[in-house]
Amino acid sequence: MKIKKSFLVGFASLLIMSTALAGCGGSKNNGATETGKPSETAASPDSDSGPNIAGDFEVQYCVGGYGDAWQKSIIAQFKEKYPDVNIKESAGPKINDQMKPRWIQGDPPDLVFIDCAGGLDVLQAIKDNQLMDLTEWFSTATNADGESIKASLIAQPQVYDGKIYSIPYVFGSWGTFYDQALFKQNNWEVPTDFESFLAVSEKIKASGISPYIHAGAYPGYLEGGLLFPAIVSNNGNDPSILQDMAAMKPDVFKSEAVMKALQQVVIMRDRGFIDKAAIALNHTDSQIQFVQHKAAFVPNGLWVENEMKNDTPAGFEFGMIPSITQQPGGKYVANPYSSPVAIAQKAKNPEAAKAFIQFMYTKKSAVEWAELTGAILNVKADLDGTKASSLSVSASKYYSSPDLVVLPAVSFNADLQKEIDNATLALTDNKITPEQWVDRVEKASVKASSKK
Amino acid sequence: MTAKRTRTLFIASFILPTLILYCIFTLYPILRALYISLFDWSGSSENMDYVGLGNFREMFADPIIYKAIGNDYFLVFWKVIGIMLLATFFAVALTRFKMRGAQFYRVVFFFPNVLSIVVIAVLWRFIYNPSFGLLNGILSFVLQRKVEIPWLGDSDYSIWALLPPAIWAGIGFFMILLIAAIKSIPLPLYESAEIDGATQWKQFVHITLPLIWEQVRVSVVLIVISSLNGSFAIVNVMTEGGPDNSTQVLGYYLYQMGFKQYHMGYASAIGVLILIVSLLTTVILQRLMKREVVEVS
Repeated sequence: MKIKKSFLVGFASLLIMSTALAGCGGSKNNGATETGKPSETAASPDSDSGPNIAGDFEVQYCVGGYGDAWQKSIIAQFKEKYPDVNIKESAGPKINDQMKPRWIQGDPPDLVFIDCAGGLDVLQAIKDNQLMDLTEWFSTATNADGESIKASLIAQPQVYDGKIYSIPYVFGSWGTFYDQALFKQNNWEVPTDFESFLAVSEKIKASGISPYIHAGAYPGYLEGGLLFPAIVSNNGNDPSILQDMAAMKPDVFKSEAVMKALQQVVIMRDRGFIDKAAIALNHTDSQIQFVQHKAAFVPNGLWVENEMKNDTPAGFEFGMIPSITQQPGGKYVANPYSSPVAIAQKAKNPEAAKAFIQFMYTKKSAVEWAELTGAILNVKADLDGTKASSLSVSASKYYSSPDLVVLPAVSFNADLQKEIDNATLALTDNKITPEQWVDRVEKASVKASSKK
Repeated sequence: MTAKRTRTLFIASFILPTLILYCIFTLYPILRALYISLFDWSGSSENMDYVGLGNFREMFADPIIYKAIGNDYFLVFWKVIGIMLLATFFAVALTRFKMRGAQFYRVVFFFPNVLSIVVIAVLWRFIYNPSFGLLNGILSFVLQRKVEIPWLGDSDYSIWALLPPAIWAGIGFFMILLIAAIKSIPLPLYESAEIDGATQWKQFVHITLPLIWEQVRVSVVLIVISSLNGSFAIVNVMTEGGPDNSTQVLGYYLYQMGFKQYHMGYASAIGVLILIVSLLTTVILQRLMKREVVEVS
């Protein structure tokens, strides 16, 4: 009896599910017409010279690592200049998730700072027509002090199909970090190219320290700090290859520059310079190993000094090399990391949004940003005497040097990025060859680009 | 007439609230997921392109899906074996033998159940840490040389490394379930078996196991269902499906596709697949483990 009952219960649950499945066939059409309904046309975003900045204006920003002091201050100053504007701040640590339904429903804020977890994926948002085309406006836009915004930026905006939809506002940079004190103490030379990097790594290894560690759980660190600059170095310092990679141009991953860069990784791997444990570490773990002198170099970003403030032993002096893969005498390659700001395609007050962008890209607000967050705003400004971290200040001087190639902001299709991550990790772990890396990534690129 | 109506009303008053909640929180999401699975949708805009069964076609051509199903069943298989063997062993040991401190051990074995799976996963991440983790520490001590195996980072070990925390987290609950079942077996059965000269092993095979079979069956089904749906948390915290998809499971792949790679339609199709896989597995399992229940009078 009991057996039959239990089987019956199982069968009944299957039945319920199958009726559920059958039922949804009917609901399909209704739903389709409902969501497929053409949305109301957005207000025309043209005519940018209208001086009348007034009305409701909504800004979305997350309160994350940089806090919200800068936004609060800039918004207050903006309000002072344009008293007729009624500003609504949609902000908080989880604001990206909270605002998502509004982006889906086509009721976005006017201006959005894209940062923090769950933030808008710029490529996807462009595909979905959610961001305003700023190309024309940006080419001539001036900031509140009358200077060209374009000329004042450290890193230029990413170009998608010849158009600009977002402007980077945070300027961070990937690079290879080391402890200047440790190097002085051991008489190790700071590498200036790949050969000297290999030579000093040999010495470091002989002393019992791992030469190079990275965050295997997040391969983006290794790519940002090592692989992508290496590809550009091997491409005769021409960064357009990165843009071609992001644009998924056919055969770009099969190019010689990519292969040479991968081989540099393989050389490091085969000589035992990459810490074997790195592959299982997240960024915090790898940084702890680094500040504890278990490893000498780590690919990371300018934020690392602030991030490790509480765990760094006394006497540790952060140093940064923009890139380590160039040939002797070659230029350094700096790979910037940025968070962009954008205007929604359906912004109800695009004029105010543009005015706000003009207002925030000034030297004065760059200094204010540095003082309030310790990081660098994407505006060339003299930061001497400000409260930006010393590493940031010294690095910011690098970026105006002519011996440095600053890469454009580039972001990859999410599927392609995932495959690059997986293949790169497998390469460092000796699971695949550079040829297999190229094969896998090229395939992923073809697949992703075929989807619209 | 009125009596019958009152009865119907009475029954409805009990069933309706549950039915309404079931429809809102179970049926509707299932229907909605099925509907979304027919679209190409990023999950963050109002643009939804109808693609019919396109997502399902793509899914069946996606090698990672097969890898994820394989990993799901790998985890299910070893979790069932590991949890059931250990839970049964501990349950029998703590009830059939006079052990000192049995109560204490019960608490100890049950303890992981009190912890959230996220806490357990984080704890085991530390144990597995290649540089300062407990496991490599013990191995280094035993082998008298420095061991730095990246347990979670090497695709050769990673999926195996997920098993100990998953099993450890599951033993306590099923041990308690089986202890309760064993305690309900009348003692005279064992006494007469002992008089007849049956060994402990024979007593276990011929008395204990048949009489707790119903609970064993329920336990296995529960482990299978919870594993197919619940590997997500442990994978998310410990490996994020990596390295190189070596620990990818359907639940985590769904999350990754939907919320990290912006393919909400595809993710919904994976959701439908999980529903079908779970249902089929449960039904097949129920049939396989069908067995006459021994009634004790």
